[in-house]
Amino acid sequence: MPRGKKSKLRAHEKRHQAQEEPENLVGVQATEGVREEFRSSSSLPLKSLPAAGSYSNPQGPQRATSTATTTAAVSYTRSNEGAKDQVEERPRSSQAQPITEPFHRGPLDEKVVTLVHYLLYKYKMKEPITKADMLRKVIQTHRNHFHQILKRASEHLELVFGLDMKEVDPNRHIYILVNKLEGSYDGRLSDDRGVPKTGLLMTVLGVIFTKGNCATEEQVWQTLNVIGLYEGRKHFIFGEPRKLITKDLVKENYLEYRQVPNSDPACYEFLWGPRAHAETSKMKVLEFLAKVHNTVPSAFPFWYEEALRDEEERARARAAATAHTAATASAHSSAMARAHSRAMDGACSRAMASSSSHL
Amino acid sequence: MGAPRPPSPRPEGGAEAAFLPSPRTVWAALGRLVPSYMQGSTRRVGIMTDVHRRFLQLLMTHGVLEEWDVKRLQKHCYKVHDCNATVEKLEDFINNINSVLESLYIEIKKGVTEDDGRPIYALVNLATTSVSKMASDFAENELDLFRKALELIIDSETGFASSTNILNLVDQLKGKKMRKKEAEQVLQKFVQHKWLVEKEGEFTLHCRAILEMEQYIRETYPDAVKVCNICHSLLIQGQSCETCGIKMHLPCVAKYFQSNSEPRCPHCNDYWPHEIPEVFDPEKEREAGISKSNKKPLRSRQH
Repeated sequence: MPRGKKSKLRAHEKRHQAQEEPENLVGVQATEGVREEFRSSSSLPLKSLPAAGSYSNPQGPQRATSTATTTAAVSYTRSNEGAKDQVEERPRSSQAQPITEPFHRGPLDEKVVTLVHYLLYKYKMKEPITKADMLRKVIQTHRNHFHQILKRASEHLELVFGLDMKEVDPNRHIYILVNKLEGSYDGRLSDDRGVPKTGLLMTVLGVIFTKGNCATEEQVWQTLNVIGLYEGRKHFIFGEPRKLITKDLVKENYLEYRQVPNSDPACYEFLWGPRAHAETSKMKVLEFLAKVHNTVPSAFPFWYEEALRDEEERARARAAATAHTAATASAHSSAMARAHSRAMDGACSRAMASSSSHL
Repeated sequence: MGAPRPPSPRPEGGAEAAFLPSPRTVWAALGRLVPSYMQGSTRRVGIMTDVHRRFLQLLMTHGVLEEWDVKRLQKHCYKVHDCNATVEKLEDFINNINSVLESLYIEIKKGVTEDDGRPIYALVNLATTSVSKMASDFAENELDLFRKALELIIDSETGFASSTNILNLVDQLKGKKMRKKEAEQVLQKFVQHKWLVEKEGEFTLHCRAILEMEQYIRETYPDAVKVCNICHSLLIQGQSCETCGIKMHLPCVAKYFQSNSEPRCPHCNDYWPHEIPEVFDPEKEREAGISKSNKKPLRSRQH
């Protein structure tokens, strides 16, 4: 029985070779090779599953890719000791004879996987990614295939992690990864236009907070000038900063911009807007500031106290809201209760996210 | 006894006998949908939805999470992205995700903290050797410093290497010359990145680093590496028998000698001289945690 089924398996694999399936499975004699066949072949039926709304196969239904289970990678099994060498730079060994696949496929797949790891690392560190770094650290000798590798890596990131790769500076080729899932409360101020305003906004909120929860326009500009943003001077990411902070962010309720009472000539001040209060907190902003200054929030005892008090109040408010929800859930429609708890879980995940930002 | 081997949540792929294809894989190989009655036992390849994606994003951001937090995280992801669905059992949920991650050489791995036996989860890279995966963000001399620290940790009796001993090796580093002051900063960088943990001037491996690097460490230092007599996993910190020298993780000791008034070495049967720690109880832990929510984390917590 085993033989019959095995050669059927092999014949099937050979057929699929022509259709750009993983080509590494032909002519494998070792036990290990057989195990590898099974592992890859067990993913075949997913091609027929609908892809709408769910992602079932990292290969993608119609893509002309061999999966990342390339020869070099495939020779890595959990207990295989030789794998360590094989997944590094070496081009694919000549053991498995590719019939239809071009020779460079193997190492390209490796590069895609390595690039995915690298991009995820950058996402975790919340650092932007430059093309130069990608070329130097990951792509290396495969420079000619940079776009192909990057495209495939981005697809994996999108399908598996829900992360989008956005080019924020086309001239200097700087990219960032953003969460593209809808409705995520990730503890950071969300931005639906793909422009990373978060850093700028946190900076402004920081100025406001540290100036006693109200900062004059002059004070805000002093800080923005330090980071290279000037009134009237268009910035390659943020555009014209004055419009951004006095109009756009105000319109989105992140900031409040008002005339200082009884000022003549009129001068203006900034406060936190309601959305800032809802989506972030004094502690988060202080953590941001601390990080910028390469220290910890408790290094600013006065503001730290205030932030702690704010956290306590928020916790009390949340507890009260829970009690309220529990009491009235039966009276109200379930949709309402659900919306309420969603907001609270947003707070919950924010709290969790903030506990990690001490990294 | 119950060997508390910290299992990866997904069953090993080689469960089937190597030469005999299981009926399920044959079906799969023939390009047919696996009939549902066959899907139960062996590993299914999962389906990713936004719930899983968000879970991955958040788990990645945290680096390593305790099981209790992982469950909360999972529930949160369901609430936000698919509030009508039933929350899947955590083990199945993670197995699903891992089957998709497999082709990217990433895995959600489950482990246990060496000092107090807490179950933890982390997203780990599998394909590249672990030290070289750090390579993208560390200089050559920094990586070498890490290697030196790692070697000292592995060779030590306690699983800890003192800051002094590490810094004394600064002259032997490859690459650009590093001063001791600089090396101190680099060590702190490793702590921040959750590769090392510092306790009273001594360094050991962060639980996440152990999860991620176990294979690498066992391959690179096959003679020096210590292994737990109970769970057979890599051992950095633990207790040892003073007679025959076998070692056991603290949580493994706790489970093995649970309610045993006369603990004896499983290997040489000599009296076990060390204090037997308590088995980790998540319920007790949670109650304690709620009552001291603002207190600073205990020094011994590695994550």
